[in-house]
Amino acid sequence: MTQRVLRLGRHAFEPDRLLVMAIVNRTPDSFYQPGVTWDPAAAMERVHVVVAEGADIVDIGGVPARPGDEVEVSEEIRRIVPFVAAVRDAHPDLVLSVDTWRHQVAREACAAGADLINDTWGGWDARLGEVAAEFGAGLVCSHAGGLPPRTRPFRVAYADVVDDVRRGTLALAERAVAAGVQPDRILIDPAHDFGKNTWHSLEITRRLAELAATGWPVLVSLSNKDFVGETLDAPLDQRVAGTLATTAVSAWLGARVFRVHQVRETRHVLSMVSAIRGDTPPALAVRGLA
Amino acid sequence: MGAALCPSPPLLCPLLTGGRAVLPELRAACAEAVGRLLSEDPEVVVIVGPAAATGTWNPGGRLDLAAFAPGLPGTGTGALPLALGLGAMLLDQAGYRGPRRLQAVGQDEPAGACAKLGAELAGANERSALLVMGDGSARRTLKAPGYLDPRAESFDKGVERAVRDGDLAGLLELDQALARGLMATGRAAWQVLAGAMPAPAPATEVLYCDDPFGVAYLVAYLRPRSGLGLVIRRIPSRREVARRGARPRPSGVPPSARAAWPG
Repeated sequence: MTQRVLRLGRHAFEPDRLLVMAIVNRTPDSFYQPGVTWDPAAAMERVHVVVAEGADIVDIGGVPARPGDEVEVSEEIRRIVPFVAAVRDAHPDLVLSVDTWRHQVAREACAAGADLINDTWGGWDARLGEVAAEFGAGLVCSHAGGLPPRTRPFRVAYADVVDDVRRGTLALAERAVAAGVQPDRILIDPAHDFGKNTWHSLEITRRLAELAATGWPVLVSLSNKDFVGETLDAPLDQRVAGTLATTAVSAWLGARVFRVHQVRETRHVLSMVSAIRGDTPPALAVRGLA
Repeated sequence: MGAALCPSPPLLCPLLTGGRAVLPELRAACAEAVGRLLSEDPEVVVIVGPAAATGTWNPGGRLDLAAFAPGLPGTGTGALPLALGLGAMLLDQAGYRGPRRLQAVGQDEPAGACAKLGAELAGANERSALLVMGDGSARRTLKAPGYLDPRAESFDKGVERAVRDGDLAGLLELDQALARGLMATGRAAWQVLAGAMPAPAPATEVLYCDDPFGVAYLVAYLRPRSGLGLVIRRIPSRREVARRGARPRPSGVPPSARAAWPG
């Protein structure tokens, strides 16, 4: 199936347009550079920076993926909703995404101006779709292997992990459509590392074209994750090159949205892939042409 | 005949852990436990491991490596549950070619049923050896697969103590709901072991006991005291230990090999 236009907020993105989603965590304890945008002013400054660096989407989260202290719904709302409203005021055109699995949080965030609900926990809360439908927002349908939110994989095994991802995300996308979410605002995400060991994450990367072939736009969230770390035997602060390599391969195989910490570097990688594919011309071509 | 006790993490299989040797001391301890078991020259080795339901599996079955690492050879329809598959792998690694029986025990099987199954296995052939595959809590540390549960340590210490002391009846008292909550997948298999080796307390040797990735791994070799074979190394009884006022020290327990991995 061919790729279609992806609509987010007031934008319509053609299939050949590769989008950068910048991570801005309103948490004190996320895995990468914990607490760096816990302070609201630092978080807003980070938004200005990533927009200047070429981010198309900003993804705002209030709860780390890894296990840890319980974050109540009210606390998650307190962490992200006022911030969503502030970013919406500062950047009226920016696509705003919220990283949450809870429909109550999603509802408040959409009311405050969020355009996309990024559910990394595989539709654990079935009411997310109805919130997206109510606000005309988008929805990310991901595969977490059936794990409850904030849990780690334990000896997970798949007869065919890509098939499991394809079936799972397709079912969620269809559920979203049935709930009234606009089909051109739905993405699928294989969710590397979620409910997967490193071999599984490498396999879904290797076979990403099979997911792109579903016709749904594919979002990948690779940034500095453990499968990169284990592949390279690299600690957390030395995973950027591995992340960017995986980004290039994923773009080549059809992923359209890239959720990242390193915006400028990712932008460069994606521009390079677009040019190699022939989708965009070089910014400048005078070499040998003078 | 005796019994070997081993954990069943996929990382026991060298093909699944990539280029670097992972926990070589754990693998060596398992190999030693299985080696001792086989040195008794059993007529059959019974592998006991947890699975979704109680039942026997095809003795020719193997672990489906592709389920954990796409790209490695799969087994097609002959795939075993993880614990049985790893038990089969340990026997293969030891070069064992004799008869084997693959006995799964359901994770929700109550203690009484587990013990009864153990007694049946032991009674079927007195020259059968048991390879019991089971793990302690997967909630030992903040980085554990199941995160930290403060109850995990005492649960696992209780298991270790029971095995170390040969007090297998103590294993029958493990709380099923607690074990499930702590992600201790070995509970049912240990209770089968307890049923298979009733009093007198077997002589035991703990070869490995640690939780390097937040999952409690216990490797031990147990042999009945009434057995006719040679006792390789005698372990002091609890009474002897109490008289001496000391707990028997484990032999061959390697230093902790904690993961230096962030995240």
